[in-house]
Amino acid sequence: MKRYLIGRVGQALLVLWGAYTITYFILYLLPGDTLAIMLSASGMEADGLSPEDLAKARAYYGLDRGLFEQYFDLLWRAVHGDLGQSLSLGRPVTALLAERLPQTLALAGLAIVLSLLGGVGLAYLTAYLQWRPLKTALTRLPSLGFSVPVFWMGLLLIQVFAFGLGWFPATGSQGFASLVLPAVTLAIPSAAVYAQVLQRGFQGVWQEPYIATAFAKGLSRAQVQARHGLRNAALPLLTLIGLQVGNTVSGAVLVETIFSRNGVGRLAQEAVLRQDIPVVLAVVAVSAAAFVLVNLIVDLLYPWLDPRIAHTAKVS
Amino acid sequence: MPSLHRLFAIGALALALNACSPADNNAASKTLNIAFWGDNTTLVSVDPFQVYWLEHRVLLRNVAESLTDQDPQTGRIIPWLAKSWEVGSDALSYTFHLRQDVTFSNGERFDAHAVKAAFDSNKAFATQLPATFGATYLAGYDHAEVVDDFTVRLVLARPNAGFLQATSTTNLAILAPASYKLSAQERSQGKIIGTGPFVLEHYTPEVGARLVKRADYAWASANVSNKGAAHLDAVEISYIPEESVRNGLFLQGKADILWPRNPFSEVDLKLFQSKGATIQSRSLPGPALNLYPNTRNNRLLGDRQVRLALQKAIDRTSYAHTVYNAEFPVVSGVYDVTTPYFKAQADKLAYDPKGAEQLLEAAGWHKGADGYRHKDGQRLTLRYNLTPAESAGDVLVQDQLRKVGIDLKLNVLTRAEWVAGNASGNYDLTSTYMTRADPIILQTILDPRAANSATLATNSYEPQTLPKVQALFDSGITATADPQRAAAYGQLQDLLVDEAAAFPLYERVWQAATAPRVKDFRWTAEGFAFLSDIQVGQP
Repeated sequence: MKRYLIGRVGQALLVLWGAYTITYFILYLLPGDTLAIMLSASGMEADGLSPEDLAKARAYYGLDRGLFEQYFDLLWRAVHGDLGQSLSLGRPVTALLAERLPQTLALAGLAIVLSLLGGVGLAYLTAYLQWRPLKTALTRLPSLGFSVPVFWMGLLLIQVFAFGLGWFPATGSQGFASLVLPAVTLAIPSAAVYAQVLQRGFQGVWQEPYIATAFAKGLSRAQVQARHGLRNAALPLLTLIGLQVGNTVSGAVLVETIFSRNGVGRLAQEAVLRQDIPVVLAVVAVSAAAFVLVNLIVDLLYPWLDPRIAHTAKVS
Repeated sequence: MPSLHRLFAIGALALALNACSPADNNAASKTLNIAFWGDNTTLVSVDPFQVYWLEHRVLLRNVAESLTDQDPQTGRIIPWLAKSWEVGSDALSYTFHLRQDVTFSNGERFDAHAVKAAFDSNKAFATQLPATFGATYLAGYDHAEVVDDFTVRLVLARPNAGFLQATSTTNLAILAPASYKLSAQERSQGKIIGTGPFVLEHYTPEVGARLVKRADYAWASANVSNKGAAHLDAVEISYIPEESVRNGLFLQGKADILWPRNPFSEVDLKLFQSKGATIQSRSLPGPALNLYPNTRNNRLLGDRQVRLALQKAIDRTSYAHTVYNAEFPVVSGVYDVTTPYFKAQADKLAYDPKGAEQLLEAAGWHKGADGYRHKDGQRLTLRYNLTPAESAGDVLVQDQLRKVGIDLKLNVLTRAEWVAGNASGNYDLTSTYMTRADPIILQTILDPRAANSATLATNSYEPQTLPKVQALFDSGITATADPQRAAAYGQLQDLLVDEAAAFPLYERVWQAATAPRVKDFRWTAEGFAFLSDIQVGQP
């Protein structure tokens, strides 16, 4: 087990380093350079300046070093916990993340809880129902939830629940009420995936001999589904949850824009557009770390939930 | 089902808590809510000297004040923090006599030392970062002399006829000496102290800002009717990037002023008016929304005939009336009408497709089977670089040009690619704008010696035209008397249209929708608003 853990942590570090490095070089490959964007933003373009002024501006924004020099400098400092300065915001990236991350964590956390409740609830209901037409309708529902675009769903929810009924605020990051609509918007596609997978899971499990055994013991349909069906059908969900964490971060980009929330998603999107390299690198590093961590936890939970799986080599 | 009951109870609690939010309290009814579009995420700053973002200049106009003000009707410079001034006969020294009753919101006295500190700090910053926007306002400034506590002389090293107007702008607003002791970054993040009727309580990038009234304010400029403290207690500013959400907030009464960057579409306009909203409009001073050609390197627009044909092929009336609405002003010159020394060129900018076709025929471009014109096997295709997305207006122009056989290629680019395209001259048409109530602002676009993009400025003219334009810019900036300036800028505007160095598309009208409860919204000369005049009441 210990060897397994060390191996996994080593893999995780490699993934982090890879994500960091690839992001850095992709940002450099993008057309246009950071200085030109910065100058253009302050109303000037690079070709309007003398070479001396250009050099001054380059030094002012810390862009006067080479590609690899800057990379190793950023990496070395990141390893020591210093994520550098945002070029356009003029603030330490760690301070920015400390300010933005809680917003996105709250959003993502609530969205994951809601998507689990919604997805599992729907699949459970579908499996329990015996009336064919309704069962079929509920089986089709997840495809709809997955195919509706996030931004459209967000606008629809705002229209109905914020502007129509006035139950929740349409925008902002203050208080729990402002979290509900964005979290629901973000939860719907994930819930649809969970529901679909679990519906299939139930279909498969329902044919298993141990279900027949359970019925033979005289258990009711509800008891069989809860005790024997769900536990077996739900295992693939665990892997999905790990993967969905990544989707939640990318979904946050859209949801945070629609609902005018200031979280990490929007920060990442805008940092990419203005080629604010330290900010993009930090966001990538943090979300990669979260992704790796959640998937590690999922893998560690497996043997506990399903004793048939073990991470250590079996002794024959 | 006890758990379901609990769920309902939680829901009811959430609703009740929501209902208690401060927005619904009477105490907050003297708070004005403004919804702008998204914040500037590229240069995050509310430091007056660096700011070019129009929305931030609205905020700053009410927090930080300037030596002079500008009359929105006549464009004349009028007293504000300076009671009077004299300009030296060489137009190189400006002596300001300051008001003696003004204090900054931190209690510091506003005096000649404060003015000197402000101008010197701005100059130092411009030396460190020559690309900063405020540098163009400070052009030629050398040093400040404190004559006595309330008299300050600003000395220029070279003439700048726009300098007096510059002292009226937010960019040269005077902050408290304490603000200049902080770093530019700290000022950018909202640590600014001014003499205005409001104090900036906080600025949160991409989210919003809050201004609170200053009770002891009593030195408004003549442009403001309310000479004392603001009628409002506070102003809540929020940046809402998503248009439908922003409009919804306004229609719900959660925003009192809806103030996006682009003019409203006719559908939105009618909707807001049907809800009792008033649409406030003002043309932003500075260049109109012009397209600038690339005439160099054997590009197609190097031929003056083709440029003149292009000028005639654009139907500006139908642009204003179909993209916006029937009341929308039709652009009539290279500047917007609110710019001092504006000269209308409506006749030369009239829609004349027949004339355009004749010019193109004469230039050797003949219509082919595909409806487009060809010459020596080459199609008359113009590459129009634009960012971040094409508008309905761009598509309309594309359609108008197709009628005379010109193929306009809408080349949609990211900001970074667009900047690179301008710098390398890889375009036939491109567009940019700046806002300032002085014709000098055109030099930041069209004078290669002062322009943000020297390439764009140079490419706009054929080689023989450039010296003529520069001579006119020079006589405009060195002129000391009004008639001289009017003559120089009048000739410049004629030349730009005659040589087709700029293709006006539409008047840059800034529109805000104000809710029925908002009274006395008034524009400043540069298209911002004095919020201390605004009263909110029951509609």
